[in-house]
Amino acid sequence: MARDLWEPSGRPMGRRAFLARSAGAALAMSGAGALLAACGKPSAPGQKAAGPPLASPQNPVTWPITADNQPIAAGLEPERNAVLKLYNWTDYIYKKVAVDDFQKKYKKYGVKVEISTFNTMDEAIAKLRTGQVDFDLFFPTYDRLGKIVQAGLLRPLNHSYIPNIDQAWPVFKNPFYDQQWRYTVPYTVYTTGVAWRNDKVRDDVAKLANPYEALWDQRYHGRVGILDDYREAISMALLKNGITNLNTGDPKQIDTAKQDLLRLAKAVKPVVNVKDYVDLPEGRTWITQAWSGDMNNAQYYMPKGQDPEVIRYWFPPDGHGSVGSDLVSILRGGKNPVLAHHFLNYMLDFDVAMENLGWNGYQPPLNKATPEAMVNDEYIPKTLETTVVLPSDFDKGYRQLELSPEVDNLWNSAWQEFKAGA
Amino acid sequence: MATLPARPDSTDVEAGPPPAPKKRRRGGRAARATSGARYPRWYWPAFAAPGIIWLAVLFVIPLYVVIAIAFGTIDPLFRTPVPTWNPVWWDTTALRTLLGHIFGSDAYLAPAFIRTFAYVILASALCLLVAYPVAYFVARYAGRRKVFYLLLLVAPFWISYMMRMLAWVNLLSTDGLLNRALVDARLIGGPVNWLDGRASTVVLGLTYGYVPYMALPLFAALDRIDPNLLEASRDLGASRARTFWRVTLPMSRQAILAGLVITALPMFGDYFTNDLLSGSPGTSMVGNLINDAVSSPGQAITGAVLVVLLMVILLIPMLWYVRATARADGEAGR
Repeated sequence: MARDLWEPSGRPMGRRAFLARSAGAALAMSGAGALLAACGKPSAPGQKAAGPPLASPQNPVTWPITADNQPIAAGLEPERNAVLKLYNWTDYIYKKVAVDDFQKKYKKYGVKVEISTFNTMDEAIAKLRTGQVDFDLFFPTYDRLGKIVQAGLLRPLNHSYIPNIDQAWPVFKNPFYDQQWRYTVPYTVYTTGVAWRNDKVRDDVAKLANPYEALWDQRYHGRVGILDDYREAISMALLKNGITNLNTGDPKQIDTAKQDLLRLAKAVKPVVNVKDYVDLPEGRTWITQAWSGDMNNAQYYMPKGQDPEVIRYWFPPDGHGSVGSDLVSILRGGKNPVLAHHFLNYMLDFDVAMENLGWNGYQPPLNKATPEAMVNDEYIPKTLETTVVLPSDFDKGYRQLELSPEVDNLWNSAWQEFKAGA
Repeated sequence: MATLPARPDSTDVEAGPPPAPKKRRRGGRAARATSGARYPRWYWPAFAAPGIIWLAVLFVIPLYVVIAIAFGTIDPLFRTPVPTWNPVWWDTTALRTLLGHIFGSDAYLAPAFIRTFAYVILASALCLLVAYPVAYFVARYAGRRKVFYLLLLVAPFWISYMMRMLAWVNLLSTDGLLNRALVDARLIGGPVNWLDGRASTVVLGLTYGYVPYMALPLFAALDRIDPNLLEASRDLGASRARTFWRVTLPMSRQAILAGLVITALPMFGDYFTNDLLSGSPGTSMVGNLINDAVSSPGQAITGAVLVVLLMVILLIPMLWYVRATARADGEAGR
């Protein structure tokens, strides 16, 4: 969307600015889907489809590999003169790494890399489902994985092409959302916490009994940021109340979170958007709910002459907070499956991944990417060491998983009420 | 526009017998304009074809898709909207739920609707207040520099709406130009946080964004007023103020209405101004609700219902506008 225009050139837009909103585009997409739909009597409301199981750490899922969709054979030569097509979030991969360097590395095969982008997962899935596109690689979120596997959009992986998986945290060889990593490799990991400027906020937020509560503090009226993401914002309000099930379907708990958010809206008039990485350095907000990767990026948005070290980030040191990860998959409709496997392996290489981190701000879950390595090599400022995600965070942290449609509607109406400013 | 020479005719028409049907049959204008040349029946209507096709393909059909989504269902697996094309099967659950949230006991959407109307009415009125004197000046007193001033009026269109709003974000920030200027001029003690979710900032942002749309139709109308009419008014003893009140203003009434419609309609759907200049739920407008709905998974129906509701609500002033214009045309034609 046009928002890209105002990003300083060369800098990423920030990991999760994916809610970049275009009502027009969204409606247009719906229209396209609509035209494909049948004209007959609609299914009765409330009728349930046999959807894929909802994966969770307690209920890990192994996705089937069907007879008509087998992995490619081992030891194949990469395709020649191919155009390798990436389908990714807007500004979520460093072009130098993904395009220039990869093309150089595979010069022998005459490969060209093209990046296409999307703003929301729904938009992306709708486009892929039309079958009219032949992207090779896709960056899904794990909460939609079941659907896109069931829809037959992904190609199972042949692990022999991806030895670099050994560089990744062991958990990603058997993640709960894709046991035996049949369809996915990890791309980035992140946490969601609270960030503030220590030149404006006098308290050391990290030392407060409940740092989430600082977002409700009237002293920061008009300077509070909340992420424009219904899952993240409501999850934060749940965590503030000590509720750790970030996928709760209990109307009482959701209502508790909603009432708290309504109170916040009245008390501090928050800025609700996904520009935490711009608003904090530019001083529009002093304290904000934030994604760890965005805070790594925030230093580049600091106005000239100002000290980027004023930015601080808190995530529960015991790891009991909201954590997430992003993935890469190979699309079944792509024309270059062998090269696509090579690309997955390439992105899991430590040096490549670190260069990508330097631009992207989001950390790859690699064993060698230790806090020391990332801070000493200045990928992450010393003052923001708290943004580093540790493997242990993934054992203790809470995930936002896919919700059933009924529960999702509860979350959405709570969010709608908050956003409507009632 | 009513012109003086038309007046004597009007009495004729009213008093005299209706024109003979024989003479009217050939479709007056075509026959008169071409003085005898014969065209097939479809010839002149065909000129409207591009517009009609355009309207059908890019407005009527998409609108029907939106309505079919508003009364449709959700794909249970992918949660994408499944439009219901046949009105017989339309499902009004979403509409009823939403109406309950606007008018019912759980009316948490009502403030957003009221807010939208208040902001739009205020901003449109401000647009008129700002644009009318400017247009008046350019039309009447710009003299040889008219083209230059006209260029200035159009200049904002050269920069995208979004860029102009982003510029305001910078100007209004705590250490922005506006705060520095006001502090230097000792008008305010310390910097004001204009972007902390103030209604006034949003209204002024809307006004700023849409004021050129008001200025242009006003200029066009004011520029077309025959100076002889104004001179006649003065000759007949009317003061400047009275001339303005009795001649200029009535003659620009249609342009004022047109300007109000052109500025108010897009404002009703605007969400971007609000997102940038406030971003706070306390200033949410209907456009923001729609935008939120369509970008949330499984909420497309809510978005579509809001679009339809807003359209129905706006239809009332639009019908009034069409009637007012028709009446004015009728008066002018007499």
